[in-house]
Order: sequence, then C-alpha cells, then structure tokens
Amino acid sequence: MISRTSPYRTHTGRYSAVTYCRLLVFTALTAYVFFLYENRGVADTSEPPFFETTIQPIFSKHCTDCHGPEVQEGGLDLSSAKGLLQGSESGPTFRAGNAEQSTLFGLIQRGDMPPAEEEQLSEAEIEAIRIWIESGAPFQDAKLGDSGPTQHDVIPILLLRCVVCHGGRSQEAGLDLRTRESLLRGGKSGPAVVSGDPQKSLLIQRIHKQEMPPRRALVRVSVKPMEATELTVLEQWIAQGLPKSDLQPDIANQVADPLVSNEDRRFWSFQSPVAAPLPEVPLETISTSIDSFILRSLRNVQLHFSPPATRSVLVRRLSFNLTGLPPTPSEVEQFLADPTPDAYEKLVDRLLASPRHGERWATHWLDVAGYADSEGSQNEDRVRPHMWRYRDYVIRALNQDKPYDRFLHEQLAGDELTEYENVETIDDAIYDNLVATGFLRTAPDRTFAAITAFVPDRLEVIADEMQIFGSAILGLTIHCARCHTHKFDPIPQRDYYRLTAIFKDGFDEHDWLKSQGPRTLNFVTTPERTAWQANKEQVEQEAAVVQEKITAEENEEKKKQLEAELQAINQRHQPEPRIRALWSRGVPSPTYVLLRGDYKNAGRLVGPGVPSVLTDGKTPFMFAPPWQDAQKTGRRLALAKWLTEPSNPLTARVMANRIWKHHFGRGLVTSLDNFGTTGASPSHPELIDWLAVEFVRRQWSMKSLHRMLVTSTTYRQSSTITEELAATDLEGTLLSRMPLRRMEGEVLRDALLQISNRLQHIPYGPADSITEMEGGLITTEPRQGGWRRSVFALHRRTKMPTILENFDYPQMGPNCLDRRASVVAPQALHLLNNALVSEWADSFAMRVASEVGEDPAKQIRRAYQIALGRLPREEEQQIGLSLYDDCKKQWLESGVTDAPQRAFKNVCHALMNSAAFLYID
Amino acid sequence: MSHYPFNRRQLFQTVGAGLYSAALTDLFTRDVYATNTKPSPPLTREFDLQPRPPQRRPQAEAVIHLFMNGGPSQMDLFDPKVELDRNHGKEHFENIAGEVEFPEQAGAIMRSPFKFKQHGQSGMWVSDIMPHLSEQVDKISLIRSMYTSNLTHEPAIYKIQSGSEFIGRPTLGAWVTYGLGTENQNLPAYVVLDDPLGLPVNGVDNWQSGFLPPLYQGTRFRATGSPVLNLKPQFEEPTRVTDLERDLISRLDRIHRRERQFRPELDAKIASYELAARMQVAATDALDLSQETAATHKLYGIDQETTSSYGRRCLIARRLIERGVRFVQLYINSQIWDNHSNIGESLKNACERTDKPVAGLLFDLKQRGLLDNTLVAWGGEIGRLPIAQLPADKDPAKAGRDHNKNAIVAWMAGGGVKGGYVHGATDDFGFAAVEDKVYVADWHATLLHLLGLHHEELFYERNGLKERLTGVEPARVVREILA
Repeated sequence: MISRTSPYRTHTGRYSAVTYCRLLVFTALTAYVFFLYENRGVADTSEPPFFETTIQPIFSKHCTDCHGPEVQEGGLDLSSAKGLLQGSESGPTFRAGNAEQSTLFGLIQRGDMPPAEEEQLSEAEIEAIRIWIESGAPFQDAKLGDSGPTQHDVIPILLLRCVVCHGGRSQEAGLDLRTRESLLRGGKSGPAVVSGDPQKSLLIQRIHKQEMPPRRALVRVSVKPMEATELTVLEQWIAQGLPKSDLQPDIANQVADPLVSNEDRRFWSFQSPVAAPLPEVPLETISTSIDSFILRSLRNVQLHFSPPATRSVLVRRLSFNLTGLPPTPSEVEQFLADPTPDAYEKLVDRLLASPRHGERWATHWLDVAGYADSEGSQNEDRVRPHMWRYRDYVIRALNQDKPYDRFLHEQLAGDELTEYENVETIDDAIYDNLVATGFLRTAPDRTFAAITAFVPDRLEVIADEMQIFGSAILGLTIHCARCHTHKFDPIPQRDYYRLTAIFKDGFDEHDWLKSQGPRTLNFVTTPERTAWQANKEQVEQEAAVVQEKITAEENEEKKKQLEAELQAINQRHQPEPRIRALWSRGVPSPTYVLLRGDYKNAGRLVGPGVPSVLTDGKTPFMFAPPWQDAQKTGRRLALAKWLTEPSNPLTARVMANRIWKHHFGRGLVTSLDNFGTTGASPSHPELIDWLAVEFVRRQWSMKSLHRMLVTSTTYRQSSTITEELAATDLEGTLLSRMPLRRMEGEVLRDALLQISNRLQHIPYGPADSITEMEGGLITTEPRQGGWRRSVFALHRRTKMPTILENFDYPQMGPNCLDRRASVVAPQALHLLNNALVSEWADSFAMRVASEVGEDPAKQIRRAYQIALGRLPREEEQQIGLSLYDDCKKQWLESGVTDAPQRAFKNVCHALMNSAAFLYID
Repeated sequence: MSHYPFNRRQLFQTVGAGLYSAALTDLFTRDVYATNTKPSPPLTREFDLQPRPPQRRPQAEAVIHLFMNGGPSQMDLFDPKVELDRNHGKEHFENIAGEVEFPEQAGAIMRSPFKFKQHGQSGMWVSDIMPHLSEQVDKISLIRSMYTSNLTHEPAIYKIQSGSEFIGRPTLGAWVTYGLGTENQNLPAYVVLDDPLGLPVNGVDNWQSGFLPPLYQGTRFRATGSPVLNLKPQFEEPTRVTDLERDLISRLDRIHRRERQFRPELDAKIASYELAARMQVAATDALDLSQETAATHKLYGIDQETTSSYGRRCLIARRLIERGVRFVQLYINSQIWDNHSNIGESLKNACERTDKPVAGLLFDLKQRGLLDNTLVAWGGEIGRLPIAQLPADKDPAKAGRDHNKNAIVAWMAGGGVKGGYVHGATDDFGFAAVEDKVYVADWHATLLHLLGLHHEELFYERNGLKERLTGVEPARVVREILA
C-alpha cells in the first residue's frame, strides 16, 4: 500500500511539529529524569524507553491484529514506528511529551481500546506507554521523529488560502501557487520562495505583512486569512529547503487492501448477484417467475396467494401505479368488458405506453435525485430557472424506456459521452446528455453568494451530492465516511475521498463554479437555439426600426406612442435557453483526506477510486479521457461504466428493489437507501438477486421490469387481510396480499383535478408558478380553465403547494428515499375546508350533471364511477341519497336558488374526502 | 405528567385519546431511548403525539422560545465594555478581518450609544433600552458567552434551530415533541406564532421536522383571523350542511373500514377527521384574547400600538402553554435585531417592540405559577461586532454593527434555571466569548436537559446512524445556570 510517508503533520496536528517536539522533548526529558529518579525501582534507568524496544512489543501483543499492516482499522498501523507516526484517520496518535493529550493514550487509559472483549493492557504496560510519551516519544531511529514537512503539507494550505487568485483559472501577478515547481518559478516579482530562507521569501513576507491574502478582498473571493499555524508550516518547509516527497496518491494496487478484508466482501450485497434456479411450485398457480419465489415463501408457512382482486380494483390499482391517475370510467368499462384472456396484459401495455407513465414515475426518481427548482439554504431561496429541463429529461427517459444503464451514464457523465463543444449541430441526444447531468446539481446550495461560498460551504454541497449518489444509486450510506471510517460498513474514510476524487473535475472545492449562472451551458438543441436566436434578431431588428423612428420623431405625443411600441417589442425578448449542468473542467486539484472531515486538516493524498469493498481491493480504478484531445478526465464516465457492469453488486439490486417497492408497497430490502450491514435483510434473498440479474438480462429495461412485476399473480392479489393472514403475515412481509396505500400528495392533487375535469395534459416546459395566498396557503397558478399535473408545478423549496406539503411532500434534505404517509389533522382540514378543493368539488358535480343529467340517483352512481372506478354499493347509494336530500332541504331553507346542485356538490365533496377515494386497494 | 390538569380538564374533559392511539408507545419508547450502539434494523414504525415521560425528572415541561432572529447586539444590551469607550474610534479591522462580512464597510471601534445600569437584587447589567426586562432580571440566567459557526443569517439560523448549518434537519421544537409528545391532543404539539407582517429569514424552514415524521413539525398559528390554515371552511355553507356532509364522510369511512380489517391507518384517518373538528374549537378558544382582563392586556402592552402585535403573541403563548402545548415559538418580522445601520435608533426600536411584552410574559407566568415548569428562552442566531459598520457616506452617526459568530448573548428563565445569574464572559471588546464558552450544541443540550431529555439519548435512526439534535460532537449541559 502506498501511503503518505510524511509523518510531519500527522503526528503533531496543527502545530509546528518540529518546534513543538523539540521544546516538549526538552521539558519532558527533564520531567522524565525526575520521574526516573522518583521511580528507580520501577523503570530501567540504563537507557531511554525507545519505541522499538519498549512500546512496539506491547502493540504487537495487543493491537496489531486490528491495527497492523494487513488490517488497518481506522487507518491505523501500529506495527511499526512509521505506521504509528503516520497516525490514523482521526489524525495524530500522540503528542510527544503529553500523554494526556494523546489520542492513543486516552483511548487505552479509558479502557476504550482494546475493545472490552479483548485482553486488556496491564497497568504496567499502560504506564510504560505513558512514560514513553511523556519522555518525548523517542525512537531508536532518531530521524523518524524529526522529519519535516513536504510539499504535501504545504499544498493543502496554499489551495485553501491562495490558489483562487494564484492558480489554474487566475494567475494574478503571473503567480501559480499550486506546485513546488511553480512556487520556485514565481511570478512577475520573482520566485515566491527562497529555499532555506523563509524571511527572504516573498510569499512569507507578503503573508506576514497581512498583504496576502488581501484583507479587503477576502469575502469577494471567499477566502479566510492564513492561520498562524499554517504559516509556521510554510516557513518550516522553506527553511528546510523545500523538502520534496515523491509520494503518489493512495489508490488501490496489487497489495491487498489493509482497510477492507475479504471477509467484509462476503456480505451478501457486496457480492455480485447470482440468479438461483427458480423454486419449484405448481406452474398453474403462477403467472411470472417472481411468483415462484413468493409462493415458496408462502408455502413455507402454509399460506397461499390471496384470491385475485376484482377487475375494477385491478384497473384502479394499476392505473394509479403506472400513471398516477385514476382510470376514466370508459377505461374501466373497456377493461371490464374485454373478454380476451390477455385483457389485463393489454391494459398494462396501454398504461405503460401512456405519456402519463413517465410523468408519474419521474416523481419517484426526482425524489431520490433531490429535485427542486430552487437553491434553498438562503432565505431568498433563489429559483433555478433552468432546472426543469432535467425534470423533462427524466420524464422523457422513462417514457422512452431508456435503459437504466444508459440513464445512469448520462446522469453521471453525460458531458463525457460525446463531444458537444466543437460540433455543428446539437441534436436531441447531445442535449439530453448534458441536461442529464443536472442530477449532480440538485443539492441545496448557498454558494451563489460570496459570503456563503467558502471552502466548507462548498464541501457541504459536495457531501450532499455524494449522499444523493450513494443513497440513490449505490444504496450505501457512503457519506457517513466523510469524517471517519463508516461505523458499521466496511467503508474506510479514504473511500469517501477517493469517490470525491472521481467527481473532482466537476466538484472541486478549490476551483468552484458558483451556483446559478456559472453552472449553466448554452448547448440546447440547435433548433431551440436557432429559434431563440431568430426571435432575438427579429426583436432587435424591429426595435432598431422603431428606435430610428423615435430619434427622428419630433412630436412628443407620437414619440410616446413609439416608445410604448418599442417597449412592447422588447418584451418579446426571451431569456437565453441554458442548461444547468455539471461538466468536466479539465485538471482538478489533488484530493487529500480531510481528517475528521475538517477542511483545515488535510491528511493523506488519495486518487480516484470506488469503494474497495465492492472490488477486489487490488485493481486500480482505470479511467482515460473519453476521446482524443478531450479536455476531460473520463473519471465519472469510468464510474458510470463500473456501476453498470453486470457484475456490480449493487446497482441492479438497488434499482430493481426500488421499482419493486413502488409496485408492492415495500422493498424486498425495506431500507431502500441502505444495502449495507445496518440495512434490512432482504425478505426474499433469492428473489432480489434473481430480479437484479433479470433486470440486467432485460437490458436494464425498466418498462420490461414493470410489466413482469405487475402481471404477476402476486401483484394481482386482493388486498384483504383475513384472520389467517393477520395471524401469519400481519406486516405483509411475505406478500401474502397487496398493500392498501394512501395517495401521495401529487397523486391526490392530480386525481382531484382529473375527476373534476380540471386537469390539463400539457407536458414539459418551464414550471408552473405558484401563488401565496393570505395566511401562507400556497397553490399553483391555474392556466386558462385548469391546472397541469403536480410534477410540473414549481418545486420551490420554501414554497411548495400546501396540499402537497400536507400530504407528506418531503423536504429535500438533500433527497428523499422513501416517503411517509402520515395521517394528521391538517390533511382533513385541507380537504374539508380549502376553497380550491371546494371549487374542484363544484366542477366535479357539474361534470357529473353534464354527463348524466339531474337525477340524483344517477348522479351518485356516476360520481362513484368517476372517483372510485366502481358503482356504489346499495348501502352507499342509500346514505348518499339521504345526505343529498337532507342537504337539499337545508340549502332550500337557506334561500339559495340552486339547492339541488349544491346538495350534490356536498356528495361529491364527501367522496373526495372519503377513505375509499384516498386509499388504493 | 400533566402539569395544568385543572385547566385542561375543564376545557377538554370530553375529549378522547385523540389521534393514533394505537398501542405502540412501548415500541416507540424503546426506539427513541435505546442506548445500544448497534442500530436495530429499520422497523415499520408508527409515530404519535401521545405524552411520554422524559428520560429523567424534568425541570420544565413546556418551552416558550422567543426567537430574536437577526442577531441582538451583545455589547449594546447585556454586555457593557469599558474598552469600547476607551478605544472608540480606533482602527481594529485588520485584527478581525477574517470575521467581517462587509470589509468595505468596516469602520473603527464603536462604543455603545446606550447607558448601562445594574438592576435587581442580582445587580445584572442591562442597557437603558430594556427598562421592563430590567425589572425582571432576577428571573433570568444570562449567557454572555455563546458562539456559533457561521456569521451569515441563514446558516446560523439553521444552526440554532436544528444544530446544523444546512436545511433538512429537524428543528428543536420537532425534537422536543418527538421526545415528549404533547399534553393536549386537540392542539398541535408545536405551535409557531410568526409575525403577521411577514415570515422570518429561512421562512417555514424554521419549524420543519426534517427527517422526523411531519407530525412533529411546527404548526403556524396566526395571531389574528383564523389561526390555522384551512381551519374553517373557506366557502359559504350553512353549518347544518357542513355537519351533514361530515357525517356522510364518517359513515362512508366506517363502511370502508368495516371491509378492511387490521388496517390501523384507516382508524387513524377517521380519527384525524374527528380531531380536525375538535381543533377548530380548541384553537379558536386558545386564541380568543377577549377572555383576558384589560389589566392583562395592559401588562403585555397589547393596549399600545408599538407593543400590541408582539404582546398578543406573548399572551397567546401563555394561553397555549396553559392548555398543554409543548413548544411555542415566537417570531418577529423584518430582522429587527439586524442592526447594520443606525444602531442608536434601530436597536432601540427593536427593544420598544418587544421589551414590555417579554417582561410582561415573565411577570405573568410567575404570578400564575406557570414559570416553575415553563422554560422561556430568549436569543438570536449570531451576535455583532465591536467595530462600526459604516454607510456609503461613512457617517459614523449612522453606523451600525456587522454580524459576528464569536459572541452571542442569550437568556433563559423559568423551570430549572437560576434567577439573576450571569454565565460566561467575552473578551475586552465583546468580540468573542472567552470564558465558559457555550456552543450552540451546549445550549441545545441544556434546553433538552431542563425538559428531562438527554441530548445523546434522544435520537432518531436513519441510514444506520443515530441522528441527534446535537450531532456527533460532544455537547455539554451548562450546569452552572441550573437552579
């Protein structure tokens, strides 16, 4: 394993090691001598307690099983002086001369290490370690304790404080402070450093005089002044002659990974899925292969499938599931009347082919992507005006049944798939590639303002994106390893930083594109761009003509008219079409592990890599520029391809499980975002693997997977829980029946609009704006005569439509893996009292009247057909009618002229509030 | 553990157990308080607002959080500094450059335009723009040494509300109601009284439940008109018709329910409609200030224009606490404490709007015996700088103070807190907390402690991690202020 060899920072933290050590060694030695004098009987006074002779044997006995060269838990190797000095991922292990402040000693003394179940150190051993540290931690190889800083101690500091103006993008005064060589080369005023003489080095002089970084410019460039400890390191490095380390980035290589064992790799979800043979069950009882797995588990507990749901239940279930909308009465009729044996399959195909399908399933993906049309984080919650293109991309991709592997390639590395800068025509494919990278631009982001765009602010954005990536695609809580090795999964801290190194050409905290404008590209399709350009020219031309007239016109009255005309013309200007995207920006900064996640505490240098536990730990992560002369690293593209290799343990499992969840109400693995060791065990281990393999075999076709799942016997079961099922499978783990589900916010709003004939199917395009009413109620602004589906509403984080919020629209912090269905009073209040819901009930009532006339009995039957996809039962019809009569009487007494209509509206409104409407069997 | 049984019984004796009375409290309790280190696999959890006993004996049972967003100036209100007088006009910017948001507006050291005097038996220093609070100082524990991690409003507000500088985590009130439930099932557990004139910075994010179920998020009560969104029908309809329709919904739902055994969510649906009806009555009653005497109105300053709005919210807060609401949070609009300019006037105005209502609340809670088990917390998200912030024309008479994350002043009063006590100190210029420093997480831990909750034991499992209000870094209960 290659690792950082400079022990300098790691063993002293933020203070100058050398000064500190020497000072402390001196005082501590004095103390030690005194100690020895006091304890003559205990310690051998003939020689100082060297690490090699006194301490190493203790560590070998108690510690190196977990902290040795092969297994380095917490990144710590206590088998050698070098390993000890290198420290752990929490930073330095000890402070020479001060046992109390030494992490390692503290852990041992408190009894936290070795772990309770292991043999503990004896008091004498603990004392020996204390004495060794207190005596200045001497090594036989004296050089070991005394090696100075190298360029890798200095570069992180310069990156943090200087390179924004003296680096890759901007080289003020011709100065580039990114490398040792460029420091020596210097800028217009000469070399920045004089080897061996810090005081003569311009760099040090300017910093000392507080001229650099310039105090009044700090906020503008989002930089803080250099800290005294950092300056000391810089001075030390120069004083010692700019020592150079030829250290290579820490990446996987031929040596077995010391932080992740093969034992770790044996966990079920870290191994490639293998399809087990289908369980043997009576074939006549099943429709698809998945049924055989489900049926076997049921039979194990003497259960069988529940009876099939009725056709009217099925059509409603399927319609909501695949399109997010209730079936229309004619769709229901058509299905009920279809005598052919494949009537159901035809219905499935029709719904999957509907453009409404992509609109519905986009919501599921946008949730995991953390989609929002605004920045969040800052009070103004600035709108992201171009984000909707990504939403449209997702809808289009799902409607086209874009294979999931391609879907991921585009979202993670669309900019590296094809050339877009030097092409004649931007076609739909190139456009889609770029728009797709919006997936990596969804996190809440306050870095559009300089005061909130400092390195730690940027690191938060990156962390959020890593969380989204990890939870949505990998099903791993990889972001937990940002500050320390994952507490439960075999994900060392450096794996997190290796992953960020893959993304570094797009997310570089030292070369940052602020949110909003700088994050956009103008490579929309050539027709769109041309149309915009043409309009722009047309408007400019017309404006110029009028402008000329204005200049020539002397009559004030006419001049005013012309000016108004000009204004009207200028209003036809359209905003430039742009794409919010992430793209490779060339050579990224080096990536250092940040100890404890602290941006001021850089640890070892790492290179790009994927989580070791998902590989053999020996094969380096390979990448190359995607095409000749490409100014791109190809890192993300390599990641995307690695993810979609059929052997990848997680990608197919995670997505197949998510699709499963949306059909069956619960995942085979219920922790959708966590397939790690603390995630839930799969309820049907063989099925999840079979499904993953099958998903890949079907060329990652999501529609094909949908079709297989919804045509299964499992899916077609009734949702009734009998006494028998309650006794054996109350939770529904075994899929002994289908779940009962409450509509999600979007589904509810869309369904209300559809049944009241107020839903307009105008797909795609900029989001529909919202209105805030008095008191804070937020609604989507209507178009002429109605509203579009909820997915097209402006998803402004701080101003989500109230109806969606009330019905559990999640806060995207940064994304949402699994929505809840809460049952709270504000939902009831909304549906009962809200003006808009009432208006929709009026529309619903009018629609019914226009379809079946004024006979209340007919009206009620029709209302049931529209809202619930079935006719009312006798009892329902009776109480509906009696309410109608009672209400009509009351309305008549109140003196209104349209009592029958109002009374029937009450029936419709009640239906909209009823559990039968809100819940799907 | 009801603390005001008389009032509640009187008002709500006919009310049943309310929403979601499924007997899952046991599971829930175990889940919240378990201390084993390895997280259990995710459960299909149910959540409710039933009152739950805290982990240890509580000092306070309810909280009124007077959130003073904007950043009240410590050296102009509670932390007098002689050195500012001595060094008034001296350049100081270079020494604190990394901590200034607007370097181009940075001026010299600026003394406080206000006079300080000692008050009460404790002799606490308060400036002359808080004459009413000055009379109540023996009820409060003042913390002069708080600090935070970011000097910008948004992240600093997220921090003080939720423990993290970023959106998406549960807020303090959500954590408290998650941990303790609430005493009155007919009112929300966590009520937010925002300013009718506008939302605070970060808007509704201030009372989000983050990754906790939405059940625990704050509910906005408006001080005038209908207190809750959609509380009353927004359309004209005879009451009898409304009742008939609700009756139909209930009957339809019972038919639906009858055919679907073992579905507790359907019971919950029916219960939520019943609760909605009860909430209409309870919320309307709680906000009916005509039930209060003229003397009480006067005490809170409701009779005067300047103090009327905030005074109403303070009085409503008391009425909600009386009715068993767990957590009440008060806001004030337009960043009145964010005194970037003309601090001599603008800070005085801020005090004029709030001083009397706040003092009135403390006095009233005390006289009604409510202060013993109600915690009142006052404070903002940041503090301010010792140097002047100058307007474009550099006129020092119009100077204000810029943001400062290194020193924040805050106080607590009531249940479990010492009266007339001052904790911690800032440096000579009031720039940074230096003695007995209290980080935001410490403040959170202290607040939870007073409610009988331990900040490390109150957690929510997510992604295999135990998420806590105070995060992963250790936090310390400020024991010094405990009575």
